[in-house]
Amino acid sequence: MSENVDVVIVGSGFGGSITAWRLAELYRAAGVSPRSIVVLERGRRYGHTDFRQSMDIDHLSDVYLLIQGQGAQIVTANAVGGGSNLYLAASLRSPRETFERRDQRPGDGPVRRMWPAGISRASLNPYYARAERGLRVKRPTWDQVSKSGGLWAATLAHQGYTCDRVPLAISEERCVNAKWCHTGCIFGAKNSLTTNYLWAAEQAGVQVRPNMQVESISQSNARPYRYLVTADVMDNEGTNPTRAPSGQQVQLQCKVLVLSAGAMSTPVLLMRSQPNLPSLSQQVGKNLGVDGDHVAAIEFDPRRVRSVLGLPGYHEFYKGKPITTMSYDWWVGRAGHAYDGTRFNLQEIFLSSLTNFLYDSGRTVPGGPSWWGLQKKQAIAHWSNRIELLALVEDTHDGTFYAVPPSGAAERPNAGPVSVGLFNYAMSEQSLAVRTAANQAMAQVARYRGLGKFMALTETQGAYCAHPLGGCRMAESADLGVVDDTGAAYGYEGLYCIDGSIVPTSLGVNPSLTIAALSERCAERLVRRAGDLGLPAAPRSLGLQTPPQHIGPRMVPARHP
Amino acid sequence: MTDLHPEHDRLLELLDRRQLLGRGSAAALGALVASALPILPSSASAASSAGSPSVTDATLQAFADTMIPGRKVSTTALGNPIDPQAIAGVDPSPGAVEADALALYHHPEVGFDSLEPPFLSELETRSLPHGGDFLHLGWDARVQVCLAGLDFSNPTRLLWEAAAAVPFTAFCAAALVRNATSASAPGYRVMGLPGVAPNGYGNFSYRRRMSRERTRNGWLP
Repeated sequence: MSENVDVVIVGSGFGGSITAWRLAELYRAAGVSPRSIVVLERGRRYGHTDFRQSMDIDHLSDVYLLIQGQGAQIVTANAVGGGSNLYLAASLRSPRETFERRDQRPGDGPVRRMWPAGISRASLNPYYARAERGLRVKRPTWDQVSKSGGLWAATLAHQGYTCDRVPLAISEERCVNAKWCHTGCIFGAKNSLTTNYLWAAEQAGVQVRPNMQVESISQSNARPYRYLVTADVMDNEGTNPTRAPSGQQVQLQCKVLVLSAGAMSTPVLLMRSQPNLPSLSQQVGKNLGVDGDHVAAIEFDPRRVRSVLGLPGYHEFYKGKPITTMSYDWWVGRAGHAYDGTRFNLQEIFLSSLTNFLYDSGRTVPGGPSWWGLQKKQAIAHWSNRIELLALVEDTHDGTFYAVPPSGAAERPNAGPVSVGLFNYAMSEQSLAVRTAANQAMAQVARYRGLGKFMALTETQGAYCAHPLGGCRMAESADLGVVDDTGAAYGYEGLYCIDGSIVPTSLGVNPSLTIAALSERCAERLVRRAGDLGLPAAPRSLGLQTPPQHIGPRMVPARHP
Repeated sequence: MTDLHPEHDRLLELLDRRQLLGRGSAAALGALVASALPILPSSASAASSAGSPSVTDATLQAFADTMIPGRKVSTTALGNPIDPQAIAGVDPSPGAVEADALALYHHPEVGFDSLEPPFLSELETRSLPHGGDFLHLGWDARVQVCLAGLDFSNPTRLLWEAAAAVPFTAFCAAALVRNATSASAPGYRVMGLPGVAPNGYGNFSYRRRMSRERTRNGWLP
């Protein structure tokens, strides 16, 4: 027996939370309770005090899902509020060139503008502004820039480059610069969705149901309902959770179905449901991207930091905020290039202490090991003299899901944090070439006057990614993409994808704000069409509000430094 | 296909069939192979006949020490025993064995137990030309064995990367220590990472403008 509701939203990350809030506004303005809007989330619900400043395996197993595919390893989140619990809160508008991209990946149709005509930087600007207000984005002052970020800026400045402070969705009032954003902020300083959009939607009456993993969808014949959603109840709670389906299933029928499970889940869910939805675009599961993520590190020599840069040394990689500065000098200001896939931006970042594993030692002995062994140990011993760099390169979306696991987005063999994704990721020539160029630029900057050792990503052509995109990309037509520029699926009335899966190219910046802006735009179009879809029609009095903020219980430092 | 051991060929067949063979990152490979290994019962029995559990554990410790070498000690940070032959002693500070890599190998949420037999089988096969079992090789020979195992020309490199991921996770992430600090986690101590910071940090910024900026708002137009 299924439960009948107006709207089911699958996933509570940026797309799901923003859509939930904007629909809640519509319902309230129409005088209808938003109780008939239901958000289903596969992960648990966490308060700030449930997080830990710890990478112990139990905590990692709770909040992360590390998906290993062929040729790429992708990190995703697993919690109410999605990736906003774990992200590093860099909140940047994507440069205008992104939206004019004309990729030429072999086998990907005619050379064309990759984004639909309705989407450009100019057309997205109002939605970026709306998302910035909702997420309380602010640019740090130089006094608030971490030493690691300041060091990156100083290193660039001494070589004639520019470096900018990065806007962040972090509260300066609550942040104590502990650099533990990546396992969830115990101080409630990160403006995650559970403090704004999602909290506001739930307060308005939207139902948020954790531990519900949607497995398949099909069409309903019981009008006015269009879709039947089947979800497994997950065994996520208690002291010894299996983090697997419990054996109990639920079904909901809805008039409007919004898939917001992210690029690693939404395409898989649609592929599994394709027999029930035969008119879906054949592009489902294709064009998976990694937002051009490409990491490396620099180990600085504190003596050279003093003598060359005039700074009082450096051995404090673990302090501050994880992202504070980045340079755009390899994106703009170069002559002779158009939309050619050669740009990249270089951002200082703290990923985690575990990413030590990813880098060469910087001391490579010919014929000897480069990323393990004695030389590597010595590099690890200088870890606090290090910064990490994230090159956000203009690559192509090179991944394809080739099969569907029986349950969920990937095959999870045990309750641990690692699962197997059934996708290939074979980088195009453009994707490889632009990473090589980024490596050369980073190495040149690092070695300036003996400042530091460049530590490249270990001997690999694979991708390590925290920013999966695509798989259900938006396009002008169903032969090129899965959804249109409003997130509406081609061929199915009332079916939407509103999340990172609809992004057709890498963005040159961390993707959360662009996903949020696209979600604001898609949600606005959905609200406009609500009456046609059997939801309350948008009244003339409908006004847009910034979601209120609620922090909730959090750790308060015994002494504020 | 490799000619090292029948189990390897069977492992490769399985990986090929699932289209999972290729360059992958190590951290996930325990799950990758553990998720689908009908070959394990036979390979497990082959390995168990090769030595007692303490020898296999000691060999895993020796491998972990080759990945992140450390000082010679008799017990781990969590008080577990260390085989006297396991640590080569080429570095004076704590290494992965002291950081309880062995306990992490056996943690149920890591899933390496199912990979251990085929991994140790290949490790020992590759050790023989260097003079004996891996545990009793000298440092330089251990390095040569691991260089070969982790080389891209080795079709079972994924298995070796999975084995390598565990000591890194134990050491650099302190994966078995909840709310680790530099006092409780040897890896953090070596790295200079204090660990939990319940009060955050005051001296986190140089507090000065460091560069000319290109944009007005922090993002490009």
